[in-house]
Amino acid sequence: MMLAEWLRKEAGLSGTKIVCAEGDCGACTVLRAFPRPGAAFVAGAAFEYEAMNSCIATVAQMDGAHIVTVEGMQRGNELSPAQHAMRVCHASQCGYCTPGFVMALSGMLEKHAQADERMAMNYLTGNLCRCTGYAPIIQAALTVRATEQHSVALRYSDMNAVAESITATEQSMRVSHDGVELFAPATLREAVTFAALHPGFRVIGAATDLGVQINKGKPMPAALLSLHLVPELYATKVSRAGATFGARVTLAEVRRVSEDVAPEFAQFLNLFASPQIKNVATLVGNIANASPIGDTLPFLLIAGGTVHVAGRPGGKGPIRKRSIAMTELYLGYKQLALEPGEIITHVSFQRTPSREVLRLCKVSQRKDLDISAVSGAFAVTLGTGRRGKSAPCVTSARIAYGGVAATPVRMPDAEQALCGELTTERIESVAHLIAGSIAPISDVRGSGAYRRVTAAYIFRRFGNEVLRG
Amino acid sequence: MAEHTSTPTRLAAIITDQGSVPHDSSTTHVTGKSEYIDDRPMLKGELHCGLVYSPYARARVRRLETAPALAIPGVVCAVTAADVAHNVWGTIFQDQPIIAASEVNFVGEVVAVLGAETKEALAKGLAAVVVEWEKLPAIRSVAEAVAAKSFIGSERTIATGDAAAGLARSPHRIAGTLEIGGADHFYLESQAAVVYPREDGQLEVHSSTQHPTETQHVVAEACGVRFSDVVCIAKRLGGAFGGKESQAAPIAAYAALVAKQTGRAARLVLSKDDDMIITGKRNPFRIEYQCGFDVDGRIIAMDAMLHADGGAYADLSTAIMERAMLHCDNAYFIPNMRVRGQVCRTNFHPHTAFRGFGGPKGVALIESVIEDIARVVGRDALDVRILNCYGPGQDMTPYGQRVEDNHLPELFATLTERCAYRARRAEIAAWNGDRARNPDGHPRGLSLTAVKFGISFTTRFLNQGNALVNLHRDGTVQVSTGAVEMGQGVNTRIAAIVAEQFGLPTESVRMMPTSTEKNANTSPTAASAGTDINGAAALQACETIRGRLSALAIRLRSIPQESWAGKTAALGTMPEITVGSEVSPRGTDEQRVEFSDGVVTVTDRSGSVFSVGFAALVREAYLNRISVSEYAHYRIPDLGFDKLTGKGKAFLYFTQGVAASEVELDRHTGEVKVRRVDILMDMGRPVNHALDMGQVMGGFVQGMGWVTTEHLVYDDNGKLLSHSPSTYKIPNVQDTPRVFNADLIFNHGNTVNVRGSKASGEPPLLLSLSVWTAVRDAIMSARNHSKTENVHLVPLAIPATAERVLRGLSPESFAIWDTQEASAVH
Repeated sequence: MMLAEWLRKEAGLSGTKIVCAEGDCGACTVLRAFPRPGAAFVAGAAFEYEAMNSCIATVAQMDGAHIVTVEGMQRGNELSPAQHAMRVCHASQCGYCTPGFVMALSGMLEKHAQADERMAMNYLTGNLCRCTGYAPIIQAALTVRATEQHSVALRYSDMNAVAESITATEQSMRVSHDGVELFAPATLREAVTFAALHPGFRVIGAATDLGVQINKGKPMPAALLSLHLVPELYATKVSRAGATFGARVTLAEVRRVSEDVAPEFAQFLNLFASPQIKNVATLVGNIANASPIGDTLPFLLIAGGTVHVAGRPGGKGPIRKRSIAMTELYLGYKQLALEPGEIITHVSFQRTPSREVLRLCKVSQRKDLDISAVSGAFAVTLGTGRRGKSAPCVTSARIAYGGVAATPVRMPDAEQALCGELTTERIESVAHLIAGSIAPISDVRGSGAYRRVTAAYIFRRFGNEVLRG
Repeated sequence: MAEHTSTPTRLAAIITDQGSVPHDSSTTHVTGKSEYIDDRPMLKGELHCGLVYSPYARARVRRLETAPALAIPGVVCAVTAADVAHNVWGTIFQDQPIIAASEVNFVGEVVAVLGAETKEALAKGLAAVVVEWEKLPAIRSVAEAVAAKSFIGSERTIATGDAAAGLARSPHRIAGTLEIGGADHFYLESQAAVVYPREDGQLEVHSSTQHPTETQHVVAEACGVRFSDVVCIAKRLGGAFGGKESQAAPIAAYAALVAKQTGRAARLVLSKDDDMIITGKRNPFRIEYQCGFDVDGRIIAMDAMLHADGGAYADLSTAIMERAMLHCDNAYFIPNMRVRGQVCRTNFHPHTAFRGFGGPKGVALIESVIEDIARVVGRDALDVRILNCYGPGQDMTPYGQRVEDNHLPELFATLTERCAYRARRAEIAAWNGDRARNPDGHPRGLSLTAVKFGISFTTRFLNQGNALVNLHRDGTVQVSTGAVEMGQGVNTRIAAIVAEQFGLPTESVRMMPTSTEKNANTSPTAASAGTDINGAAALQACETIRGRLSALAIRLRSIPQESWAGKTAALGTMPEITVGSEVSPRGTDEQRVEFSDGVVTVTDRSGSVFSVGFAALVREAYLNRISVSEYAHYRIPDLGFDKLTGKGKAFLYFTQGVAASEVELDRHTGEVKVRRVDILMDMGRPVNHALDMGQVMGGFVQGMGWVTTEHLVYDDNGKLLSHSPSTYKIPNVQDTPRVFNADLIFNHGNTVNVRGSKASGEPPLLLSLSVWTAVRDAIMSARNHSKTENVHLVPLAIPATAERVLRGLSPESFAIWDTQEASAVH
């Protein structure tokens, strides 16, 4: 059962709405605090609340989490700042999306006292409204100010609740319902053992895709493995060479870390999904989901991405770990080069060298929170010494695309063709090579021809940008 | 690529309207306490309903077995065509089965309804129903329907002058075909109904419907009970936009059939996917046209043939076509005109009302034609618009109604000035040619379009409303009307009108849920007319009550207070006061009565004043057995449109406006960025300024989605593929125009409508066509670098998706690949 359904029907809190049941509209937004497993209880510790979509979050995985819904925002008869702003700015018409917007804004106010326009828009990307045209909602977001007495963290961080939460995350958890078993181990050893003993198991991460499949009535695997209680999978390591993220590190954190390690990737993640999704979804989840249009994948393909996997054949003996380069990971449509029983524990990628020009690009019907028709990742290193005099010289190039084949792909021929003196003619011929060497499908997001044409165009744009310096 | 760099205060100017009363549900909306259908607590034994529907556009039902579903524990009931008492419905033509029996005509057509105790049991039950389909050939486009002569209703014509002769003598002529796609309403609350069986065969229906009366009737007929046995209640809707005008009725009927069969409460709440697959959309149109004009761009004649995709059943499509035909002139005088319209029967979901109701199709045609005229004669499109705009000497519509209280010339002039149209036009031309500032060659476009939207249902009998006003003895008021609240604020407006009548604060007026037991034989809340007809009825009821209270107040003036009924009624020592209808709401010539600030004052000619508290006066009225309740009926006067001749007064008045939109196209991807929008409208004298602005900006952005990103894609089986927000892209917060200004002009001259206001629901949506014409302007600028003899008039379908825009900009890039992939989905 999903959290939104549970809130509405079991807890009787019908303020949280369900509209799309796929995490695209934000009407089900709630705030969640979840202590990091393995964290020790410290007196005075407070919950940290973040917005999430409750319609695609399983109730089972909320064990130990603290949830605040729209019903929890008022203090007596006094509206919270977000509620008050939405009301006086006339930001609510039919009212169905309103609780979701209130909670998205409340999530923003937990982190920022006030917002500028760009921040406001980013925090509201995950919420759809069909009545207002958004202008009054933006106005509400710009005028609202956080107050101490309405801070959710201060109001709800009851010490007993925090301690109870932490205790709950220390033990493995097993839930069975209607022929489906969900296991959330507290250690990696238990995780790989379960994986080995349950052929056909699936890892359930933040369920931002699996939850959608469940809601839409797709058959569920009999065994689900949730890694959310394994402390070591929350680790982030940054070095001079690059960054490594555990399987439970959220995209929100990846984005923060990437601001230093791979600024273009951080920038790109602003367009990727909504805050509600990024607060729970993981980079490893995007990789493991193996969609040909997974937005992070072209980047990982050109940034030396590597996944680290673990398995325990037969469920006995030591844990076996190995690494697989991203370029070797995808065998076919949604098919990974993993042995049965192996799970991805970490992913790493290289720091973007200062001499490298790296650009990420997606083509979609709507700019934000839309699945790409085509996405591209380009990186070139330019030869030194001849600057300004003549055309720049490409000494190495990496090119990857999503949405043009059954898997995200690198394009070695195009990379090779790009090396050498960079001229308009060369850009043109590589663009043509790219368009001709892919065979994309036609679907709801665009025709095959459109994908070819835009694949070539976005490369051309990159090439011209490099050419202009 | 993200560019959100405009100043943080860009919106401040337009939404500082904190003086307007907020929406009457605003507090419960923001606290999550507003109750919608599925928020109603489940009763003991209540059943969840689910639908079994066709996966094929057209098929014969060879076998339908519900027994395997009923064998599943928890599945309680299965309803099929045989269980429906009167299995045909339709708002205009009764041509649609409620539950299909032997043949289905669209993907999503329902063949069975299940009722189950849990959602899990329901899902298993739905999967267990056995249907054997025999796929039949289907009609999947307007072109196929025209070829097969598969029509709904007959061809209609509206004509004036002599179009053929006019075209023949025109110095310039253009001809073309315009393809206009549909759009999903994407109300956030999907279709939903709960039905409670009540004693003695009665049914209490709670439905997310814009038309409680029709829902009541369809439920009664489906269940084989009398109209008087069904009460339909619509408290509020989580959005509707036309999608719940007709199509809410069968949804309620499905739940009612389960409730009737089982005697248990039954609830049907569609998932977003099912809702989008099953319910109809804005009608797609294909328009073929010819237009003749002189060297200045003055229109001489136009001839247009409109074909609408009606889907599988008639629904409201013929009325939608009529409104499309009545809006082909829009703001412009066309002396010789012939517009023909024909609705086609295809194998898609039955298309239906959607904000604008056909009007946007007619307006799209003429606004796009004007852009072409401007290109041909080498003038700015705005000048061509002003040249052709309705005004003195050119004020007769093709259907023979004069354009009165016309503010179009003023609107054009004011907005041109305010948005610096001329300067920006020059700046855009400079930008488009400046490779230093615009190295990638992203073209910009600008367009200023108009709307003149006719207010009234074109079906005369729908132009009536009724209202019930009950005063209570503490001086508060309850008002019930046929209007349905769906976010537009109709209740807030009517409450304001009533409060103003009695001189009360708006908090003293409570709007009650719309219910057919209080307001029967109502019209749908549609055609932007909710406040117009229901507010006018409420006003009339208030005036009648005020007349009685005024008469009473005048009488009380001459009676010492200790003799008033409040002191004496229980004893019966004083004679009762009786009043008739002899006193007007404002008193008499001798005794002027005013209701303000909770006090009723009677002023005589000498200026001497008597006053009594409003609540005390109501109590006195009750104790004197004077009614403090009133029911009133209102009909819009003087309408006379003859559907057979296509002539007459179709509308009570017009809501008018103009908008200028500036866009930038991504040369590499075709993505559209709306840089700036300026809107100016005439809403008469608004009852609530903020609510009107909400309609203006919300309607505009909704229309923007229709003309840009909202793309309905169907597979070869006629099944909608873009049936959820992951594939169907309505505007999100980042799509709001970078600069977005909206304003209203002051117009106190609209005396024909309630309180001098004007309807605001639909007209702003039509202004979003300026985004589409601006996109086309940008494409045509990119394609017509120099002013050559041969002007490229690049056609652009609606919606102008990124792919279509890129195809418009660079047709040559697509040519080689298209030939390789003849089956590409466009």
